[in-house]
Amino acid sequence: MKKKVLALMLASAMVATAFAGCGSKESNSGSASTETSDSAEGITLTVWSPQEDQDGDADSWLQKECEAFNEAHPEWDITFEYGVCSEGDAGDTVSADPTAAADVYMFANDQIPNLVANGALSELGGDTVEQIKANNTENTIASVTYEDAVYGVPFTGNTWFMYYDKSVFSEDDVKNLDTMLEKGKVAFPLSNSWYIASFYAANGCTLFGEDGQDADAGIDFSGDKATAVTKYLVDLVANPNFTNDADGSGLAGLADGSVNAIFSGSWDYDAVKDALGDNIGVVAAPTITIDGTECQMKAFAGSKAIGVNPNCENQQVAVALAAFLGSTDAQSDHYTMRNIIPCDTNCDVSGDAVAEAQTDVISNKSVLQPLVSAMGQYWTPAESMGQELVAGTVTADNAADKTEAMNTAMNTAAVE
Amino acid sequence: MEKEKHVKLHGRRLFVNVLVHIFLAILAFVWVIPIVWIVLTSLRGEKGSYVSTFFPKFYTLDNYIQLFTNTNLLNFPRMFTNTLIIAICTCLISTFFVLSVSYCMSRLRFKFRKPYMNLAMILTLFPGFMSMIAVYYILKAFNLTEGNMIRISLILVYSACSGLGFYIAKGFFDTIPKSIDEAALIDGATRWQIFTKITIPLSKPIIIYTVLTSFIGPWVDFIFAKVICRANADQYTVAIGLWNMLQKEYIHNWYTCFAAGAVVVSIPIAILFVFMQKYYVEGMAGAVKG
Repeated sequence: MKKKVLALMLASAMVATAFAGCGSKESNSGSASTETSDSAEGITLTVWSPQEDQDGDADSWLQKECEAFNEAHPEWDITFEYGVCSEGDAGDTVSADPTAAADVYMFANDQIPNLVANGALSELGGDTVEQIKANNTENTIASVTYEDAVYGVPFTGNTWFMYYDKSVFSEDDVKNLDTMLEKGKVAFPLSNSWYIASFYAANGCTLFGEDGQDADAGIDFSGDKATAVTKYLVDLVANPNFTNDADGSGLAGLADGSVNAIFSGSWDYDAVKDALGDNIGVVAAPTITIDGTECQMKAFAGSKAIGVNPNCENQQVAVALAAFLGSTDAQSDHYTMRNIIPCDTNCDVSGDAVAEAQTDVISNKSVLQPLVSAMGQYWTPAESMGQELVAGTVTADNAADKTEAMNTAMNTAAVE
Repeated sequence: MEKEKHVKLHGRRLFVNVLVHIFLAILAFVWVIPIVWIVLTSLRGEKGSYVSTFFPKFYTLDNYIQLFTNTNLLNFPRMFTNTLIIAICTCLISTFFVLSVSYCMSRLRFKFRKPYMNLAMILTLFPGFMSMIAVYYILKAFNLTEGNMIRISLILVYSACSGLGFYIAKGFFDTIPKSIDEAALIDGATRWQIFTKITIPLSKPIIIYTVLTSFIGPWVDFIFAKVICRANADQYTVAIGLWNMLQKEYIHNWYTCFAAGAVVVSIPIAILFVFMQKYYVEGMAGAVKG
């Protein structure tokens, strides 16, 4: 019967417009009174985070930090309300209705352009930016900077690296993918556009200029350098020791021994640990040999950050909370309680292989995942390229044409 | 000669029958496979979303136990209760709506009747999710999108326009002779009395049919629940919960529980069907007659 909701809709179309008008007016008056109303009276802040941050009760990370924040600021009497929204979903869920979304929420940095365009993310300034700049590496700061403004307090890096079986590969083997393929089986998510870019980036292809911020530069996956990569990938797929990792087949393969190395991020650590036990090795993605030269595979690097909703009535409090949740102490707690690897350079994570691999990737072996709205055109052509490679429709003969077609598609604006 | 022909005919018929049955058997197999697979997966001992064998290497009930006891991350029992409350309320309200509208359309004559029926026909041709964002903003204007009010808004969304789906029930009511109504009118019954005392008792099959469809609608709906619940985890319905289990962060540990959840979710529907099955068929047949 849900299909008939439309009737309600049509019947009340005019009413709806009227209400929409009301809604935006409300929010305007709300932000107009910003910055004045944060004195002693009660303040309610809504905080959204992934479920894992607030499982259990009082002793979970988010509740603990929020209580600590409340104690640190006796001048504000804050009541917290918690909602569940993973960093990956924040872009859609918050943008859907910023006026009713959380005041403080966590998001993956690639959603910044979308959130800003929807008026759902406040630009940070003053002490908060100082704090971010003092505690993070340049790459991390760049990951939350969009059009020269800082939009979030980063709390962890977001990238991928390689898990391998130490009993199969030595530490020297894992430096080069081609050496690895001679010794054991490697699974790579080739049909996933978040991963496949690393091969092209290895051979000098760029997305939106060198720093990934130049919208006018466009995506440069063309010419001989890109064709060479496509040809390399054709050979890679043909290699019997290579499998495409899709639908979790890589992880399952690790467990039964049919795969010896996979590419994934910190979220899969526990599962890989289950599969490999003490033989687990973690390292940045290897180099590949293209036309005789060794090139470093470069993963997309990003971060997860805490942002403030511009529709929040108590901007000052919300920004302070965001800064607090992203502070060195809060990140350390996050690390001990949930194994979220801090990006704060003051946090001590030495001895943790995953943290070291992740830091290595972000600082040296990655390209910043571009924060340009035209980046939206990248994903589908790249994914099709990966799928066609796996299916075998891309061959050494048509590699040049297929690469050029992909590049054209990436630089063509979708219908707006 | 005669006999030989008979045998020949018989042989050919046998041959055709065998072919048809093989064909049907293949179809049945294809149709049943996903269900068998989901049940097997729900009993699978090894974790993860990808397996190389169709049959699990070892069987366990842990997935069901985890589903109902591990409530820190994804509180399945609460989602189940939420959905059950919403589905039952929606079921009661929209059944009443549908039967009332159908009765009016079948028995009463008024000016707007024909245009209304055409209008309803056209409106039902549009997919409901076209309007979901607008529905969300309307509910928000009424302050129905926070906390426990979410349940009420979901019930509203699922039942509010159920009256539009009156065609099948109206068709059934049309088959009940009007003379019975007239006799009751002469005896002094009101329209309401005719509806409750005469029409309803005569239309058990179509009531069952309406109950079934209006229960299943909210029970399996994902899109409206997703739009309206947003970040309110305590209001999630099973559809959102099951979807969450397949997210990147959970899929490895929760995949088999997802299958268990899918099996559990189908139980209430299966029970409803088992008890109401024979009426269901009758109801559909009755409607066609009209």
